[in-house]
Amino acid sequence: MNPYLCVFRMGIEKALEYRTGFVLSMASAAFPILIQTTMWNYLYANGDAARIMGYSHGQILIYTLLATLVSQLVSAGFEWEVNSDIKNGGLNKYLVRPVAYRKYCLLSVMGQKVPRFFVVGPAMAFVIGFGVWILHLPLSAVRIAVFLGSLFLAFVLNFFLFYCVALLGFWLTDVDKLFGTVSIVLTVLSGGVFPMDIFGSTLTGLFRLLPFGYTTQFCVNIANGRYGWEQIGRGVVCQIFWIAFMAALERILWRQGLKRYAAVGG
Amino acid sequence: MKKLCHYLRLLGVFAKFSLMSVLEYRINFFAGMLAEMGWMAVKLLYVAIVYRTGASIGLLTADHILLFIGTYVLMTGFFMLYFGNLASLPGMVQQGELDLYLVKPVSLQFLVTLRRLDFPFFIPNLIAGSVMIVTGWRRAGLPVTWAAVLGFLFFLACGCLLAYSLFLLPYLLAFWTVSVGGIGDLTAALWDFNNMPQLIYNKWIQRIGTFLLPVFVITNFPGLFVMGELPPGMMLWGMGVSVLFFFLSRLVFQRALKRYSSASS
Repeated sequence: MNPYLCVFRMGIEKALEYRTGFVLSMASAAFPILIQTTMWNYLYANGDAARIMGYSHGQILIYTLLATLVSQLVSAGFEWEVNSDIKNGGLNKYLVRPVAYRKYCLLSVMGQKVPRFFVVGPAMAFVIGFGVWILHLPLSAVRIAVFLGSLFLAFVLNFFLFYCVALLGFWLTDVDKLFGTVSIVLTVLSGGVFPMDIFGSTLTGLFRLLPFGYTTQFCVNIANGRYGWEQIGRGVVCQIFWIAFMAALERILWRQGLKRYAAVGG
Repeated sequence: MKKLCHYLRLLGVFAKFSLMSVLEYRINFFAGMLAEMGWMAVKLLYVAIVYRTGASIGLLTADHILLFIGTYVLMTGFFMLYFGNLASLPGMVQQGELDLYLVKPVSLQFLVTLRRLDFPFFIPNLIAGSVMIVTGWRRAGLPVTWAAVLGFLFFLACGCLLAYSLFLLPYLLAFWTVSVGGIGDLTAALWDFNNMPQLIYNKWIQRIGTFLLPVFVITNFPGLFVMGELPPGMMLWGMGVSVLFFFLSRLVFQRALKRYSSASS
């Protein structure tokens, strides 16, 4: 059997190992949705938020709901494991075997996302359905297909972003708090909390040049009908470019890092 | 009174040693502060949105909202000071690590929940929260009288006691279920309801958040008191619920301890 297929299956089993924790962590995602939805409803009902934010009421509601769900699917969380392998010598067992560590991590994380997808997927379908039938957002089957494709690219991009951060463990002695910082900063910059383009055109231009927005904000704005086809095309090209860039950066970090690796423990 | 002084002195010693140990690895200290500042940035986004739209929530203008969010940021600082102890409690129960603390001649609850204080998480919230409160207070034109300031500080203290008691309870489940995976996420999500003033939510959520799971009491009552919008009945509730939950947490902790089997130690 293909070893990577085994890794993928192990990832699924790992995600289902602590089912109560899994359910509770999924349930906790409902609270930020409730908080933000309440806030937006209030702001749009009591002011000129649509003009100031540049999002219609329907678009911002769909954004809030979908951004939380998309974050659940593209989020990393494996960086602690990579760091532990580097620190405790767990990397040894991969180095002496004919497996690529990067591929191993990617397939394991993909496997872990499968149960999550079965919970998030229907919720996403419900939100999109709500957007089409109740809020009359301009969504078509093609747009939804492109959204799903961009979601996959966003997952791969986010994986490489966090893999590069995790590889810093070769150089830094304690990266626990760094991971915490990077995780929250990237969540904010990716538009996982609020769309970053509501904070003015200068910031919007800046975020377009950075990779983070292509992991959440870009995908969600395809689904809520905000982006036109030209913008979508440009965005997909940017996603592919950043994946290639991060993959190349990861190769350099891996090669240089291995030279420093002491292989203690394991 | 003598006992209280003894515990306050002990808390001072814990604070001193926590600060010394964290300053031993200064990069960690600053990395921790940086991490907390990241979380704070999320809270500031809410402020930015409120100011951008210029919206008001009933009686609350954007400046009042700044005062409320500032109170929330400050309370987050106090909460994060000891949160690490609560989060590590399930692990201690699983590994049987409470044995060592059981034999000490001080309250076990005090020792396991306050022994380590995370100053890197506290300092940024203390500074940012205080600045936001003072700015919001001043810009909203609220009275700066002894009564207002002391009342604000009093409800802040009540909020601290309530936050400690209320958020300790879910972690005590570890004595019965051993693993409380996901509880942390759920607790953090519940805490985040205070990102915006309670007045933004509908009546039912406000009632639940005030009387059933009183998270709103923690950060909303100080601001409402300063605005003169806290009726006497609610003032009594604000004080009473803090004491009530504190005794409840004491009771549950003592009950929970009877289930401790000291496995693996």
